[in-house]
Amino acid sequence: MTTVLDSSPLSVVDALRGDRTRRPRNDTTSSAGLRATLDDGIYDIIGAQRLATPVVVRASSLHQHTKTTELSMSSHGRLRGVLVSQILRLLSVGIAIDHAFDDAVAAWRSEVGSSDLLDQLDRLDDDERARLATDLSAHYVALSQALGPIPARWLPRSGVRASQRLAGGSVILRDVVDLMIGTTANDVASVALFDVTTSPLGEGAERTMRFHALVQTLRTSTVPLRTCTFSTATGELWIHDVDYELLARSVDEVLAAVSSLWSSS
Amino acid sequence: MVVVVTTLHHRRLTTEQLHDLVSGAPTEQAQLTDDHRTSLSARFRAVSSPGHRRLDAWSVEQAGKGGSAFRWAPATARRVLGNGALRRVEATESLSIIDAVRDELADQLLRAASGYARAGSLAYWLASSAHPVLGLVTSEAVNWATQLHEIGQGLPSPWTVATADAYYDVATARTSLRARRDLIVDNDTSRVIVRVRAGAPGKSAGPGLRADLTIETLANHDGVAPARFIGLWPEAGVCLCVDGTMDDLRSGARDLVRTAVAQRRQRTLLAA
Repeated sequence: MTTVLDSSPLSVVDALRGDRTRRPRNDTTSSAGLRATLDDGIYDIIGAQRLATPVVVRASSLHQHTKTTELSMSSHGRLRGVLVSQILRLLSVGIAIDHAFDDAVAAWRSEVGSSDLLDQLDRLDDDERARLATDLSAHYVALSQALGPIPARWLPRSGVRASQRLAGGSVILRDVVDLMIGTTANDVASVALFDVTTSPLGEGAERTMRFHALVQTLRTSTVPLRTCTFSTATGELWIHDVDYELLARSVDEVLAAVSSLWSSS
Repeated sequence: MVVVVTTLHHRRLTTEQLHDLVSGAPTEQAQLTDDHRTSLSARFRAVSSPGHRRLDAWSVEQAGKGGSAFRWAPATARRVLGNGALRRVEATESLSIIDAVRDELADQLLRAASGYARAGSLAYWLASSAHPVLGLVTSEAVNWATQLHEIGQGLPSPWTVATADAYYDVATARTSLRARRDLIVDNDTSRVIVRVRAGAPGKSAGPGLRADLTIETLANHDGVAPARFIGLWPEAGVCLCVDGTMDDLRSGARDLVRTAVAQRRQRTLLAA
C-alpha cells in the first residue's frame, strides 16, 4: 500500500503509527531469500573473483544517472541535508533548538571532528553562510511542525548506521537511516524507517525508501513495517508499507547500481 | 606436535541465533591457575616497555599499531551513558530509555559541578560541551541503550548490564589488560559475556574476542572462564563467539603477548 499525503497529516508520527490492529506478523523468513538473490545477481555481474577494493553501494548510488546532477548533491544542498539530519537527531530526543543553524553546526562538529564538507562550511563567506542559515531555518520549521513529539515508548533511534557485506565482501551496502522507531522484538512488525530530505520528492526518494527497507531487512533479518520519506522543501510525506515486492524491487535497483559502478570502475 | 583447536562461531544476529548461542554454551569451563598467571607475568616482563603498557582487544586486532589520540565525542560517550541508562531502566521498569539517559547525563554533570571530575574525564568534557552537543550525546546514548535493550530481550537467561569493563593488572610487568563487556548472562552454572561493537567485524575479530575472553578470565578472582564470549556487531547484523576452552585462553594470551612485542618493535623503529 502506498500513501501519498499532499496535505499535512496531524503529525508524521501519527502517520507512521497507522492502524495498530492491521499490522502484519513479523516476517523473519524473507531476508535469506533476498540475500541469496543479491549474491546470485552479483555473481552474474562480477563473477567469482574477490575484489580487493569492494564496490560500495549507498542510497545516493541509486540516485545518480549519467549526465544528471541533482540539486541536492550540490555543495549547498549537501550541507543543508547534513544539518537538517542533525536537527532531526536533536528533535528525536526532545532537545529544544534555539538557533537551528548554530545548534546543527555545533552538533555536527562534535560528531565528525573534521571532514571535507565541514571544511567547505568553514570556507563559506558571510553572505553564503547567512543564506544557508536562513535556508536551514525554513527547513527546520517545516520539519519540527510536521514531526511533532515522538513518544519515548516508540524507542526512537536517529542516525542508525548499517553495512552489509555481500558476495564474500566484494560488495558492501552502506546506509544511514535518519530516524527509526519501533522494535524487532515484537510478534508483529513495528519498525518504521523515516528519511528526511531537503529536496522535492522524486523517483530517487522512492529508491532510497526501498533501499532503507532492504538494508534494514538484511541487517536484522526482520522485515520492517513501513518506510517513509519527508521533504522539508515541499512538506510532502510518502509512506510505503514494506512487503516482499518492494524489497525485491530494491534488490533489482541495487544490482543495477552494482553493475553501473562495476562497469565504471 | 601439539594440536591447538580454538573455536570461532559465526552467525547472523537474530533473536533465535543469539538464543541458541547462549543456551548452547558449553557446560565445561576452563580455569586459570596461579601457575598460568605467573607464566603470563613472566612473558610480559620479558617484553620491556618504557612506560605503562595498556592492551585490549582493539590493540590485538590492530597488531599493536597506535591509533589516533582518544577524544571524547558523542560516539565515544554513548557506551558509558547508554549502559548506565540501561542499568537504570532494568532497576526501574517505568523509566523510559530517554529519561534514563537524561538522568545519567545529569549525574555526570553533577559530578563535574561538585568538583569530583578530573580533567579529561567524560563528566569534565560533558560539562564543557554546548547544549546541542549534549543533545547529540543523548541521541547516541539512546541509540546504544535501545539496541542493547533489544538484544537483552532476546536472551534466554537472566542478564545484567556490566557495571564496568574487566581489568587485569599483570604483576610487576607494568601492563594493564582491559576487556570490554556489556551484558553478563547468568546461566545456572556458568556465565556468558556479550560485547557490542560498532561497524563490521574485520579479519582479526576472532583474535580480538579471544583476547577479551582471556582478560575476562584473568579478571575473575577464581580464574574461571566464561562459558562463551559473544561479540555482536549490530550495524553489520552479525555475531561471532568463542568458547571458554583452555585452547582459546592460551591463544588469547599468546596474542596479547605478541601485541606487546609488536608495540615494542614499533616504538624501536620510531626511535630509530
